[in-house]
Amino acid sequence: MRFTPEHAGLLSAAIYTAVSLIVTGIFFAVTVLTGDYSWVARVGGSVWLFLLSMIILMPTVTPLVRKRLEG
Amino acid sequence: MSREEKEKRETEELTVPVAGMTCAACVITIEKALRGLPGVREANVSLAGGKAALKLDPEVCTLPDIERAIEDVGYEVPWSRLNLLVLRMMGSHCEENITAALKTLPGVISVQATSATDSVSVEFSEAQVSPATIKKTVRELGYEVSEKGEGEDALDRERKLRQAEIRRQLLNMAFAWPLGALVMLGTFSDFWVFKDIVPSFMGEKLFLFALTTPIVVGPGRQFFVNSWHGLRRGVTDMNLLYATGIGAAYMIAVINTFWPSAGFGGEKATFYEAAALLTAFIVLGRYLEAVTRGRTSEAIRKLMKLQPKRARVIRDGKEIDIPADEVEVGDVCLVRPGESVPVDGMVVEGYSAVDEAMVTGESLPVEKREGDEVIGGTLNKTGAFRFRAVRVGAEMALSQIIKLVEEAQTTKAPIQALADKVAGHFILGVHALALAVFLFWFFVGFDLWFTPDTRLVLTPYTLEGLEVFGLALLISVTVLVISCPCAVGLATPSAMMAGTGKGAEFGILFKGADAMEATAKVQVVVMDKTGTLTKGEPSVTDVVPLEGPSDEVLRLAAAAEKNSEHPLGDAIVRGAAGRGIEVQAADSFQAVPGHGVEASLNGVAVLLGNRKLMADRGVSVDRLLAEAERLEGEGKTVMFVAADGRPLGLVAVADTLKETSARAVQELKRMGMEVVMITGDNRLTAEAIGRQLDIDRVLAEVLPQDKAAEVRKLQAEGKTVAMVGDGINDAPALAQANVGIAIGSGTDVAKETGHVILIRDDILDVVAAVQVARSTMRLVRQNLFWAFGYNLAAIPLGAGILYPFVAQVVSPQLAALLMAASSLSVTMNTLRMRGYVPPVKRGPPSGSPEPVRPEAEPALEVAQ
Repeated sequence: MRFTPEHAGLLSAAIYTAVSLIVTGIFFAVTVLTGDYSWVARVGGSVWLFLLSMIILMPTVTPLVRKRLEG
Repeated sequence: MSREEKEKRETEELTVPVAGMTCAACVITIEKALRGLPGVREANVSLAGGKAALKLDPEVCTLPDIERAIEDVGYEVPWSRLNLLVLRMMGSHCEENITAALKTLPGVISVQATSATDSVSVEFSEAQVSPATIKKTVRELGYEVSEKGEGEDALDRERKLRQAEIRRQLLNMAFAWPLGALVMLGTFSDFWVFKDIVPSFMGEKLFLFALTTPIVVGPGRQFFVNSWHGLRRGVTDMNLLYATGIGAAYMIAVINTFWPSAGFGGEKATFYEAAALLTAFIVLGRYLEAVTRGRTSEAIRKLMKLQPKRARVIRDGKEIDIPADEVEVGDVCLVRPGESVPVDGMVVEGYSAVDEAMVTGESLPVEKREGDEVIGGTLNKTGAFRFRAVRVGAEMALSQIIKLVEEAQTTKAPIQALADKVAGHFILGVHALALAVFLFWFFVGFDLWFTPDTRLVLTPYTLEGLEVFGLALLISVTVLVISCPCAVGLATPSAMMAGTGKGAEFGILFKGADAMEATAKVQVVVMDKTGTLTKGEPSVTDVVPLEGPSDEVLRLAAAAEKNSEHPLGDAIVRGAAGRGIEVQAADSFQAVPGHGVEASLNGVAVLLGNRKLMADRGVSVDRLLAEAERLEGEGKTVMFVAADGRPLGLVAVADTLKETSARAVQELKRMGMEVVMITGDNRLTAEAIGRQLDIDRVLAEVLPQDKAAEVRKLQAEGKTVAMVGDGINDAPALAQANVGIAIGSGTDVAKETGHVILIRDDILDVVAAVQVARSTMRLVRQNLFWAFGYNLAAIPLGAGILYPFVAQVVSPQLAALLMAASSLSVTMNTLRMRGYVPPVKRGPPSGSPEPVRPEAEPALEVAQ
């Protein structure tokens, strides 16, 4: 599939959501594997991490993707 | 046609008012939204000025597109509105005609014509179309038009929007503060004296939940909505910090109320007071910002208020009262005592004194008589006069000054651009920091330092129920709130706005914030001699007779020159008249180009000229040579006078110094600057003037076209150079200098080149310009210190740097209070500029001698 500038919004949403999920997944995995954390801490921490990751990545990824697609 | 030329031709510059901005992040948000529009080539937003300056292709990007983009990110565009009473409209056809005609005008946003009420309401951009053009267009369609009331200009609308914002935040405070105080009382109901006076039900979690929820969804709602608007367009702003802070504190409280064993601190750490007071403090900050921000732009408001609304015009022999913007060039206007001059013009009848202080900075009323220029917006004090309109509407001096100051306020000084960039990226940085802080306290900090005695700073209760996630989240939220760069965003633009406005009050117009910054850094001031340091017109300084009275020498010389058009001749005639000598016209007169004149007066052959002329005519001037050489050594031009072949004496003429030149040079040197004089005059003359003024360096015999090269040489020495000169003749040198200061522009400021324009012809204004610029930049530095200093100190505290030692963390509400205090300190510091008067305008410096009086004062000095 060829992406055009009209796809910028969708493509960037896919990227920042995926990256945020990966970061959150890593966090979750670390809490499970390395320490004696409660489920509240694991889930709550994952949600907070996901939220902050999305906030950081949304305005960072969107212009980059738009710039790339507009050539 | 090259691509650049094509783009240049298709590019239009316009300014759009923007309301609702609160910080530098808002600036970045709007700039990003505007730059994303197709056809927009450049977008600069001024926070303090409330304006966006755009360069765009009008074919691709229209005003409604701009309005939509700004509104999409949560801000408003307060267009100007004109309400017209239009007679003779007959039904919908006329409505359509008027609407269609007005919509073809560039700058018209919307038109609402209603024939039933004879009204037409037009929303328009003042930068592109004037109310007079709108009325004229409707009138040309055959309708009778008059203005309903006074309409509503952008200034009125901006003020109304600001007042609405103040009211809204006041209402929010009225809601959030009493409820917040109850939540606070309820939270502390188990502590201190509160145990005895606060009813126990107020400490119930459900009660606190019931009080806090309306605060979060009421006054706090604006932060969630605005941050969502920004996020949708891929931009982050301050609202996002508030929203995440309030949202997180509230969510913890709700979880601890309904699921106390979830590990967020339990019932004892519900943080309702954090969510409630955080909202209340942020709303307080918003309120204070809205109140104080309007005050920094007071100077431009004062100028705008000067724009006269009505004019008394003589048409067909009758005196009629019309809106000032309908006065046309050539109209004769009548001004009575106490009235404002409606437009720029030339007095044709009458005599009065006019107060021009508000436009030129001239403190004393200026006498006006036939032939004198009057400036629109100035105040007539004593008599009545009539004048012919010369410049109207946007051409008026006042309109040009307002435009220039507004444009200056939308530009960004390098220091401001940097601060904006930092503040703009700060939001993301803060979120990244909050994330890092969260991870640190989650994985490392909690295990190392957490104790059940943990307290919030300035609160009595402990957080023993807090678990790893609760502590990490609490500190993370505090970092978000405490790092808000509001003050950083306000620091530079508010000071620049106050500085440019203050300059305008004294007739000093900075063409941009960069000009302000560069003026403050000037090390060398190069001044053109003629017309800048000197009056630019020669006058008689000495008359030396060989025998007999000096008046006779001057009388003959003046008679010989009476019909001459040479500036030196003119000076001699004026000099004689000034001493009360009756100047007769010569019977015959002949100019000897480059040497002098020959004339005949009552049968006496008069000769006036240089040595060569005397030698050619066989007149010996040996006895006068010593005196002539002395005077030439002082830079004066000497002319010998002879009658019937006998030498009578000599007359010396020189360009005289302005009264304030010596003091200006003295002040500039006292302020640590090097003063350089540049002139086309010969070295002898130039050095004589330089000595009189105590100027360090004189660049003589410099042709006009070479002045720019001389400036370049000084710059090559690594110095920041200001060039002071006539804005038209010295244009290349003004452009070459780091700061070009055009002096004595008068009222036609738009034609001037240069970075700084001095309306009056007073060299002391150069000193005042540097003083205003230095004070403004000092204010910028102080503001940045307060703003960045706050963040630098507060962020580590918020991140829990002291926790391992004192087991206390800063609460989110205390963070919000500190943040509001930092914005307030910056704004209050800027407001100090309101009463500022440049030291040079306050009189001679204390402890310094009286101003040096130039040797070549205009007073006629006659050697006997």
